[in-house]
Amino acid sequence: MNRDEAKSILLLYRPGTTDADDPQIAEALALAKRDPELARWLEEHSSRQEVLRAKFRQIAVPAGLKEQIISEQAVFLKRYGRRERIVVVAAVAVTVVSLIALTPFWLAHRRPMADNSLAGFENSMVRVALAGPYYMDLTTNDPVKIRDFLAQRQAPADYVLPAGLQKAAVTGCAIEGWQNTKATMICFRTGKPLPPGEQGDLWLFVVDRASLKDAPPPGPPKIAAVNRLITAVWTQGDKVYLLGTEGDAQAIGLFL
Amino acid sequence: MAEGVDFESLVARHYEPLYQFAFSLTRDESDACDLTQQTFCIWAAKGHQLRDVSKVKTWLFTTLHREFLGSRRRQTRFPHIELDQAAAELPVVSPAAVNRLDTAQVLEALARLDEIFRAPVALFYLQDYSYNEISEILAVPLGTVKSRLARGLERLHQLLADNAPGAQPQSLQT
Repeated sequence: MNRDEAKSILLLYRPGTTDADDPQIAEALALAKRDPELARWLEEHSSRQEVLRAKFRQIAVPAGLKEQIISEQAVFLKRYGRRERIVVVAAVAVTVVSLIALTPFWLAHRRPMADNSLAGFENSMVRVALAGPYYMDLTTNDPVKIRDFLAQRQAPADYVLPAGLQKAAVTGCAIEGWQNTKATMICFRTGKPLPPGEQGDLWLFVVDRASLKDAPPPGPPKIAAVNRLITAVWTQGDKVYLLGTEGDAQAIGLFL
Repeated sequence: MAEGVDFESLVARHYEPLYQFAFSLTRDESDACDLTQQTFCIWAAKGHQLRDVSKVKTWLFTTLHREFLGSRRRQTRFPHIELDQAAAELPVVSPAAVNRLDTAQVLEALARLDEIFRAPVALFYLQDYSYNEISEILAVPLGTVKSRLARGLERLHQLLADNAPGAQPQSLQT
């Protein structure tokens, strides 16, 4: 690195911040310690940065803005609450009348309400993955911590990752409810840039095979499009696995 | 879970930096107030979806920036500029000359930057956000953030050098 390259890099340097942790900036700072002319330039640049930071922070905030935000929110909630009460009363009335009218029909045709089918599981879990920005119960890149976290909470933790998925970067996990049992959700990154707030774009769900009435037989993964995701489903041991990401069959095939 | 976050405490903690960011983007007090208020309204409606409370601040800045872009109804895709394409020429204005400028003049210079440079530069100076955090808030890759910052700072310094009383533009290269 020469002096001019160092100056270009140090242009983004703000003293007193974590900028110095950046390896390029750290190298340029080290050069400045050995190069008096670069050191003089850096001193002036740092002073200029400090002055500019101070100028930006002098932007005056209008008096009463905080109170205005809080009071308007309270008014909104009050209005919403009054309207909501009317809606709730009307809804209850309609529901009672409907129940009375439909009870004989329901009694004659009732069947189990719980949808513990594989399709129900797929739809439910894909909705979870797409309800972004997505946040996890545990954010970590350590697969061991994820297994420990899940095991401590009695969620499926003895899962087996396919070879492709073992190479993907893990970012965390969450525990989702499924038909009175727990489903494990593990988040990975495909390597593509993530939208803000998102911490993964590749999701693996694991659930006990017994919780599904029509779990697929052990065999190669079945690829299908569910909602906006491409998914792969397979059974291994006493677990059913659902892997999902955006893209096509080739995109998900990389992780199987 | 973010459901447990008290709304008034949240407003008290974040409304000032959010307003400053909004004002640096709009340079209009009324617009900046509206943007700040709208951001908290969205929080009130959707904030409970946020599981990681440590991300609240980033979430608020991201939301404010999205609302700003939405209000501008910009449909053009922002160009990706590589860092090595950024010019190495930097007009130098002394700290003392910058100090003689007032905040309004600095913001006027900021407003003259292309919109894609304005938000990263404002976050860079206002909040001391790391490059990774700026990348997350603006939803652009880290390399693009650095290139936009390099180009934006270069242009900002150039504009300040032009405006600063008695400043003699020089080159970064020696």
